[in-house]
Amino acid sequence: MEKISFGKRPKNPLHKRVWRDLLRDWKRYLMIFAMLVVTIGFVSGMYVANNSMMTSLNGNAAKFRREDGHFELSRIPEPEVLEAIASGKKADMVKIFRERAYRDAEPEIVDAVREAVEETVREQVRAAITEQVTAAVDAQIAEAGAELPDDMRQEMLSQALETAMEESYDKAVSDALKEAWDSEEYKDALSKAEDKAHKKIDREIDKEYTKLAERYELDRNFDPVPVNVYELFFKNADEHIPDDAAFEGKIRVYNTRKEVDLFDLLSGRAPQNDREIIIDRMHAENAGIQIGDTVKADGAEFEVVGLASFTDYITLYESNTDTMFDALTFDVGMVTDEGFARIGTALHANYAFTYKNKPADLYEEKTLSDHFLKALITQAAAAEKETEIKDYVPAFANLAINFAEDDLGTDMAMSGVILYVLTAVLAFIFAVNISSTLEKEASSIGTLRASGFTKGELLRYYMSAPLLVVILAAVIGNVLGYTVFKDIAVGMYYLSYSLPTYETLWTPEAFIRTTIIPFVLMLAINFVVIVRMLRLSPLKFLRHDLKKTRRKKAVRLPRWRFFRRFRLRVFLQNIPNYLMLFVGINFVMLLLSLVVGLPSTLSYYQDTMPGMMFAKEQVLLTDYKDEDGEIIRTATEGAEPVSMGALEYRTEKYNEEISVYGIAENSRYISTGKTDKPDDMWISTAFAGKYHLNTGDSFTMHEKYENKQYTWHVAGVYSYDAALAVFMPNERFNEIFERDADAFSGYLSDETITDIDEKQIVKRITSDDMIKIANQLDHSIGNYIVYFQYICVIIAAIILYLLTKIIIEKNELPIAMVKILGYEDGEIARLYLLTTAVVVIITELIAMAIGFYAMKLMWEIMMQTLGGYFTFIMKPEGFIKEFALVTAAYLLITVCDFIRIRRIPKVLALKNAE
Amino acid sequence: MSEAERKFLEVHGLKKSFGTGDTKQDVLRGLDFTVSKGEFCVLLGPSGSGKSTLLNILGGIDSADEGEILINGDKLEDMNEKSLTRYRRKHLGYVFQSYNLIPNLNVKENIETGAYLSDKPLDIDELLKILGLFEHRYKLPNQLSGGQQQRVSIGRAIVKNPDILLCDEPTGALDYTTSKEILQLIEEVNQKYGNTIIMVTHNEAIRRMADHVIKLRDGKIRHDDRNTEKITAAELEW
Repeated sequence: MEKISFGKRPKNPLHKRVWRDLLRDWKRYLMIFAMLVVTIGFVSGMYVANNSMMTSLNGNAAKFRREDGHFELSRIPEPEVLEAIASGKKADMVKIFRERAYRDAEPEIVDAVREAVEETVREQVRAAITEQVTAAVDAQIAEAGAELPDDMRQEMLSQALETAMEESYDKAVSDALKEAWDSEEYKDALSKAEDKAHKKIDREIDKEYTKLAERYELDRNFDPVPVNVYELFFKNADEHIPDDAAFEGKIRVYNTRKEVDLFDLLSGRAPQNDREIIIDRMHAENAGIQIGDTVKADGAEFEVVGLASFTDYITLYESNTDTMFDALTFDVGMVTDEGFARIGTALHANYAFTYKNKPADLYEEKTLSDHFLKALITQAAAAEKETEIKDYVPAFANLAINFAEDDLGTDMAMSGVILYVLTAVLAFIFAVNISSTLEKEASSIGTLRASGFTKGELLRYYMSAPLLVVILAAVIGNVLGYTVFKDIAVGMYYLSYSLPTYETLWTPEAFIRTTIIPFVLMLAINFVVIVRMLRLSPLKFLRHDLKKTRRKKAVRLPRWRFFRRFRLRVFLQNIPNYLMLFVGINFVMLLLSLVVGLPSTLSYYQDTMPGMMFAKEQVLLTDYKDEDGEIIRTATEGAEPVSMGALEYRTEKYNEEISVYGIAENSRYISTGKTDKPDDMWISTAFAGKYHLNTGDSFTMHEKYENKQYTWHVAGVYSYDAALAVFMPNERFNEIFERDADAFSGYLSDETITDIDEKQIVKRITSDDMIKIANQLDHSIGNYIVYFQYICVIIAAIILYLLTKIIIEKNELPIAMVKILGYEDGEIARLYLLTTAVVVIITELIAMAIGFYAMKLMWEIMMQTLGGYFTFIMKPEGFIKEFALVTAAYLLITVCDFIRIRRIPKVLALKNAE
Repeated sequence: MSEAERKFLEVHGLKKSFGTGDTKQDVLRGLDFTVSKGEFCVLLGPSGSGKSTLLNILGGIDSADEGEILINGDKLEDMNEKSLTRYRRKHLGYVFQSYNLIPNLNVKENIETGAYLSDKPLDIDELLKILGLFEHRYKLPNQLSGGQQQRVSIGRAIVKNPDILLCDEPTGALDYTTSKEILQLIEEVNQKYGNTIIMVTHNEAIRRMADHVIKLRDGKIRHDDRNTEKITAAELEW
């Protein structure tokens, strides 16, 4: 034997192959890489932006001394009432009410007793005088010795009595009363009368208090909650922009804020005189108001000198019961105290409060709020002058404060889910691709395994490409996320919310969620697929026998024409790929359902809402009678009175405010059917839809601040999607809510009502009010939604490209073979591409339905946590658009596939024949 | 030659069948033979005689139903999958009819995949020269002829200097001239590195260059002969 030369053990040459694999198949990897970079970048940007803004919002609570809640009273109370409220102690209502009732009853009791005593005294004096006079007259007659007839005696007696009464009765009575008032008897009588009256009062107060205590759980678990109370008065006014006559908005103007709910001045300066105002930055942008412009609040002109973000109006909710914020027509402003005086509308006695002892967490904050509400209710009720609570909103439940933050959080979670789903889809595509590669390279793998390569070494090799792609994508995606996409995300939120300035914070969470989790997903999915295949013996690889279970016989196909049977074989052979195609298209369709369905829903509401109004105008009056007690009437043709109220429908998740309407008999605007039973009510389709109520069902409504509830039955569902509502005849409305028989709240009219004094009108509800939700949503997301549609098409195209490429690659040999047999490219395309086309089209149709119903379900879940309701609407054009977008993507890919098929050389079949 | 070297590979009572019940087919029906160290052993037989199955069982990529195999004293059936892999890694080299090269690794890198498995591989450049591939070392498999690809395949198997080189119809896909070249190469390798070579072939002519010829038919050994008048591969004709 000759001398043998040995060399060094080389590094694993498969490592070199990883890079070559990536280069060889660069189009596939580039597409997956691009998808991951964009998604990771966007999600990473969202995380960084949202985290920075959320941190800023949380920090601003302290920085801008944000309220812990606010309440509005019906009038400005006396300082002692505010002091009592600030003490956070519950008023002893029973004691106060009793004392007040005792005090109120005392004069009556005294008067009654005195009257009784006086009557008795007068009787007694009269009797004494009569006795004395009779005795004197009889003595006089006896002294005269004459026998007088009775009638003469009576006459004498009468005269004498009259004289005596005139002379001494009053004095005697007066003297006797003087004596009586000091007598023990009088005191006893007074005391007894007081006792009796007090007992009656006690019984009545106990009864009333029990009701109230039950409703607000006043007697349970109470600890005083001392708070700082701050005046935060505001006036609501119409907003006009002199330079934009078409603009109609509303503005809530506050006077100078110094102690609580401060603001972040984003540009300009604070108002310095009675003609200057700062307004919300978001609204200013929407309404095209700039610093230096003039706005009118109820006629009073102000120059805008600054744009701000008010810490209690991060999202412009006019009312906490509104379904959606409205940064388009609702504005918040702040003026000096003198400027405040210039606005003529009614002042709202609104007060902000902060807890003296800050709660540790949300749970504790809720407890404090509950306890403070009890204190507030009792102290307001205990006020000497009648004081009603008009509004109470703790900060944690205040949408204007929390909605943006919640939305930021939800969006983060949602975008994370989209990233994970997309990564999982891509990981499966990788896995399908690898599994196809393993099949293609079965001989080499078998040889390597037979030569002694371990499964682990091969596993690591085949895992390298997807993991390298995901790591590279994560690094580049994160770099883009922290730079480009962060600004896009911030831009999106600044377009909707009145956010304060923020500082970009570098969060490790973004890196973990956009790198570690996709990496783990990619690793896990590919690991499972590759390990499953590598479990096969080397011999199986050498024999290309990679099916775990081998069919004994081929599937028998019906006696169709050859082409059809061939295509069915192609289908059967590629079922795993088509399954992935199904998952991928479903994923895209779900996204498309959102991005096509949302504008569809919004435009449906924008288009149909004006038509959905009961009448073109709903006028809400301050009262149904004017100052003189005369019923406010209108001569407007077709106007009819209507009553409006609100009750709560309570579920575990949410207490929903439901409008309750009392309608005129044979109303021309709301034509519900007649109801015979007093507890049969019609409800709107929106109410029925949101809470799945049907005719015959019973439902319970609650008074918001009283311990009253009403259980009614659904008599019918009235087609009205604009609001959650209950309808009943006006007489029943007045009866149920204990109002005057002829009372009503306002008018419905198709003509503008002009003959009612504006002072008596609280609000005119027009179609603009109804579509403000749709308008705001359209404004917030409308610009981006088109881009998302394109992104969906790109995702669809990439997924289709990746999967159809695998199918064609898998069939390269048979394609080369049929080419040799003389089939033309067109025929081959019919064999291989038509199968995929049919699968894509059927999948599209199924996925459209699945996407629509899944989106509808998700929409309903989302609506359960929001006030109001509107149904998810997908217009037929929406479905066509979805179908057209994905089909367009597929057609594009089909062209690529056709070119790919044409490029497959015939010799391939001969070269690889083993 | 010591007893251990003489009985370098021992096969006793080896049986193997495929299928069950009516479809059961006995492929190997009790084989007994030994192969000496450094011997060039040819397994001959017609298609379906069981020669490839025997080779696969010897190579530890298939298992026998009965019987035992001892290679250098190590019992194959006592080994679990992991040990078998390790065993193949350290002691066996495989050459297949269809080369099974990795398409996007060049000649040298394909041979390196074999070298990587050994702690003490042969000098690759020297091996490339022996294989006649030094000039082609940076070419990819699809740039080579069938014969050149098979040379690479032999190089990949031999570079780790295995105790046994298992060749399954290495000339099956090659023309006469190229086949002879490959056989010459295998002969050269056997002489230079002293590996035991077990080659499966249905080419009767090849028996003349082998030290040891085992002829199979219907799963049984019909002949087990040592060649006394061995000729070189160059002298072969068929």
